[in-house]
Amino acid sequence: MASSTRACGTDVIDAVPPASAEPPVAGTSLWKDARRRLLRNRLAVTGLVIVAVVLVASLVGPGIIHATTGFTYDFIPSDRALIRAMPPFTGPDGSWSFRHPMGTDTAGRDILVRVLIGGRISLMVGVISTLVSLIIGIAYGAAAGYAGGRIDEIMMRIVDVLYAIPYMMVVIVLLAFFGGRTPLGQLVLLFVALGAVSWLDMARIVRGQVLSLKTQEFVLAARAVGASPVAIVVRHLVPNTLGPVVVYATLTVPTVMLLEAFLSFLGLGVQAPLASWGSLAADGIQSLAIFPWQLIGPGATMAITLFSLNFVGDGLRVALDPQMRRG
Amino acid sequence: MRRFILRRLLVTIPMTFVVVSLTWGLIRLAPGNFYSGDKPLTAAVVKNLREKYGLDRPWYVQYGRMLGNTVRGDFGTSLKYTGQSVNAILASALPVSATVGALAYALALAVGIPVGVMAAFRQNSTLDYVSMAAAMVGISVPNFVLGPLLVLVFSLTWFWLPPARWEGFSVHLILPVVTLSGLYMAYIARLTRAGMLEVLRSNYVRTARAKGLSDREVLWRHALRGGLLPVVSFSGPALAFLITGTVVVERIFALPGLGNYFINANLNRDEPLIIGIVAFMSISILVFNLAVDVAYGVIDPRVRY
Repeated sequence: MASSTRACGTDVIDAVPPASAEPPVAGTSLWKDARRRLLRNRLAVTGLVIVAVVLVASLVGPGIIHATTGFTYDFIPSDRALIRAMPPFTGPDGSWSFRHPMGTDTAGRDILVRVLIGGRISLMVGVISTLVSLIIGIAYGAAAGYAGGRIDEIMMRIVDVLYAIPYMMVVIVLLAFFGGRTPLGQLVLLFVALGAVSWLDMARIVRGQVLSLKTQEFVLAARAVGASPVAIVVRHLVPNTLGPVVVYATLTVPTVMLLEAFLSFLGLGVQAPLASWGSLAADGIQSLAIFPWQLIGPGATMAITLFSLNFVGDGLRVALDPQMRRG
Repeated sequence: MRRFILRRLLVTIPMTFVVVSLTWGLIRLAPGNFYSGDKPLTAAVVKNLREKYGLDRPWYVQYGRMLGNTVRGDFGTSLKYTGQSVNAILASALPVSATVGALAYALALAVGIPVGVMAAFRQNSTLDYVSMAAAMVGISVPNFVLGPLLVLVFSLTWFWLPPARWEGFSVHLILPVVTLSGLYMAYIARLTRAGMLEVLRSNYVRTARAKGLSDREVLWRHALRGGLLPVVSFSGPALAFLITGTVVVERIFALPGLGNYFINANLNRDEPLIIGIVAFMSISILVFNLAVDVAYGVIDPRVRY
């Protein structure tokens, strides 16, 4: 993300005059600086690696497992001995083998495959809902901040009002009454509902940034050469708010994933036969006393992923925060 | 100050109106209703029931009646729990949720604030790193994983604590309260640390240090008041949310609280109960937020209304 936005986000924040932006001595830009400091932060790098591993495993893992063992997320073995195999070493006859690293669930399905497939859904919900909240939040915040004055006041008052709504309640009502038609429809509903819930902070952040940026010379210059308001907002203001936006978006992903897991746990999220980490954990709780691994596999995977995402977000915040810069 | 409070209380009315109308609209727009359940009812029964609950009237009559009920604070009778008024259910469920929620928040404050303060005073020490890593774990482990794991260890393996049920003020509360407070403990520790770090760098604390005050005096007399402001503003919504019922924990531990009723009401399409809980919830969120804003002014002399 950093490399693709570097070009438009750098010069103004660092207040380097554009004419001398490409001197022979490589000037350090905000994003270059941030990347350097992010990479020095061992916790954040570890988090990044773990997230990457989980992502890649979710994408290619189920295929590999299917090719080598024949398990799929809805494969129910006819062999009764396979049912409820304990992780990680139990083979069909109780012998030692790595057939089921996370064990099997009550129907005899391999939990690892289900966790990986669930990871696809959980990560997808996290990313897409964050994108939804990004789009709404940036558009709303930038519009309010750029318009300023009375319009800004009204738009932000609306945000204040929306803040006071018990969101989870509305989302629960929405999913309980409209969900459950098709698994795909349910997913789309989840994306929209979670995105619509989490854009408020984003709108506030972007609006604050735009308010302070729009008085700077480069905006005046853009206006002087005849750029339209839309062009000024889209081409000049929004790219310069990316620092805080990226940080906040990174921290929104685990929050949204957690919300999705809550909803799936309550039976309102992802529908069977699809699964997410939340719904897998909910299934696992049913037989907690006898088959605890049915909760531990998906639960631990989810906790580790959220943990890593939070560390990445924290690391990004420290890396991009100008106040934290020394020298 | 009084005008400020009055104005904010007045805002509660249109807000509740919006939330209740939105919820009612969602329920009404959705296909199906309370009677389209698993057991098909005969046409005559459905007709009688619809008449009894006024569901045969045009939508604006029903909407008006619902609003009138909300204004009077009488939400009618539950469709599912026959013969029970929504108010009676609220009255029985609120103490459960409020007890668990308040205890959990008290525990979270009692642990989170000292940890956050110590981490800030010893910034970049091992203590700081360890406690902040622990806080990150607290934020990352969903409570529907934490709760059952605690049950597994303390109830099903060591048989120390009862795993579930509501028995009033008893040992049954320990596991749900701990489960519920985990996340908030972590948030409060992080907020306290961040707030304290900022205050410790400020001029007035430097002045206090320059006067020769000890760490302890700086903390109690000067730093704590300013450093806890983020925790205060976090507390309003958090408390409102905790006390009015946390769906997941109440479900795991089979507590008959508001959150549990709310989920059941949704699954049963029990409209009066849903409206009642939503209205109650949004009013309490607004009131708690107001309380926090007032407290803010008392703590921070820079705040003006």
